[in-house]
Amino acid sequence: MTSSTPQRQGYRPGSLEVLAVGLVLLIIGQSYLVDAFDNPALQTGATIFVSIVVQALPFLVFGVVLSGAIAAFVPASFWKKALPKNPILAVPVAGAAGAVLPGCECASVPVANGLMARGVAPAAALAFLLSAPAINPIVLLSTFVAFPGEPMMVVARFIASLATAIIMGWLWLRFGKMKWLRIGPRGHLVGSNSWHTFRLTTTHDFLHAGGFLVIGGLTAAVLNVVVPQAWLTAIADQPVLSVLALAGLAVVLSICSEADAFVAASLTEFSLTAKLAFLVVGPMVDIKLVSLQAGTFGTKFAARFPPATFILAVFFSVLVGWWLLS
Amino acid sequence: MRRDVQGILLILVGGAVLRITLGGTYLNYVKEGMRTWLLISGSTLIVLGVMALLDALRRGRKSEDEATPHDEPGEHGGTGDHDHSGGHGHDHGHGPRAAWLLILPVLAIFLIAPPALGAFAVARDTSNAAEPAEAKAPPLPAGDPVPMSVAEYVGRAVWDDGLTLEGRTVAMTGFVTPDPAGGWWLSRLAMACCAADAIASKIKVVDAPDLPANTWVDVTGAWIPGGGTKTETAVPLIEILELVQVPQPKNPYD
Repeated sequence: MTSSTPQRQGYRPGSLEVLAVGLVLLIIGQSYLVDAFDNPALQTGATIFVSIVVQALPFLVFGVVLSGAIAAFVPASFWKKALPKNPILAVPVAGAAGAVLPGCECASVPVANGLMARGVAPAAALAFLLSAPAINPIVLLSTFVAFPGEPMMVVARFIASLATAIIMGWLWLRFGKMKWLRIGPRGHLVGSNSWHTFRLTTTHDFLHAGGFLVIGGLTAAVLNVVVPQAWLTAIADQPVLSVLALAGLAVVLSICSEADAFVAASLTEFSLTAKLAFLVVGPMVDIKLVSLQAGTFGTKFAARFPPATFILAVFFSVLVGWWLLS
Repeated sequence: MRRDVQGILLILVGGAVLRITLGGTYLNYVKEGMRTWLLISGSTLIVLGVMALLDALRRGRKSEDEATPHDEPGEHGGTGDHDHSGGHGHDHGHGPRAAWLLILPVLAIFLIAPPALGAFAVARDTSNAAEPAEAKAPPLPAGDPVPMSVAEYVGRAVWDDGLTLEGRTVAMTGFVTPDPAGGWWLSRLAMACCAADAIASKIKVVDAPDLPANTWVDVTGAWIPGGGTKTETAVPLIEILELVQVPQPKNPYD
């Protein structure tokens, strides 16, 4: 491991070496690890963590494979041709297009950027940016699986998310200023051919989203094991507080939308409306997305667009939750 | 993260998924219906991982610092994911840094192999008997003892005043959760989707020897009054007629 690879800057351990040494140490220390985890609270936490990751993984894989295929095999010019010329009409069409196109939220930022770079109206591209990760078929299917016996959850998620996306698009059309928005160069992993692009995009998206899924799973496990149930019940019993708590949690957790329904379902103390707020806010506003948007569209954009989206998303969650879920 | 490390990570995650699915322990975490999907997604990850490794090997044979810009994300700023170390051209295909976290579930599965949820989770769940949708449970089928789930017994005993259980014997499988007040509960967890949303059911046993937590038992018993009714936190009672220790069932959840 200490072989000095001839490099101009001298030897710096790369990620492969770190991984290899780390794994060897862990295998040597396995018996200590198992002893350390011989504690019912830690084991329960580990079980909940693994179960969330395992349950969400197939949806995540399916999602990144499909969105990778679209990124690689559907030419971007297609979207410009498919959208109405009038931006007022293009916003709802682009928002609804999110319902057929699977895409992780991390992928939707570069995709929306690419759409704008190709001349699609920013308002329409932004509506698509918000709706694609929120209401695509894989997300709705995972929501259906996560909430057996509550099929209205799927409908409510669809309506509240689409409404937020379209209204945000129209708000941008009316009040948005171009100087708030920096349209970057085409942001995408581009391989030597479509097949290569597909593999690069899929691998990158999976690793990215998977990392954030792990953060979500860990947080849910800690909430389940460490936080006394009485606290959760106390918050969950306050209608306003519980909605804000879960909306805020969605922002902090930054879970991929293909996986977030399983985390939401694990918060058994909370009302369906609070869980709906978690599911509507999460795919549109979270820490990871805001930082991605700041990097792609500039900080002026990131200071205005996500907060407005958050307020609208909470508003529509409460409205639709009151209408469909109570 | 280099492309070869990305490949190894994908293979590790895919391998972990296949291992628990083929080994059957996936039932500790998710429902049986997930099996096919886990097999497909685990295999997909391994294929993607092998291809990423092949990419890295092929590139390794080329000259070391040949610029291969097509593997570099075109834009990225402010995410903190991509530190471009200096201007020189060799491509490590910097993957997202959050990806390192994917090693955690792999380690959890291979090194710790978390067991199915047990007594600790039951003891944390303070509610016991969710109010059933129908007010009145149908009568039990003929024949004694009647096999049923712990949850069904709790539902009948708490929300139906035990009327349908009176004078009958029932057979159940569950595990031991110690009651802080002494003795133990016959308990079982049911999951709606995965173990993270599991809900506990428990019955206080009467006339049973003490057993260590998480011991699995087949129980034949008869309903006796007590423990409260018509509240979600009521814990009904059962008089034990027969008790056999058994191994953990293949599917530990209801």
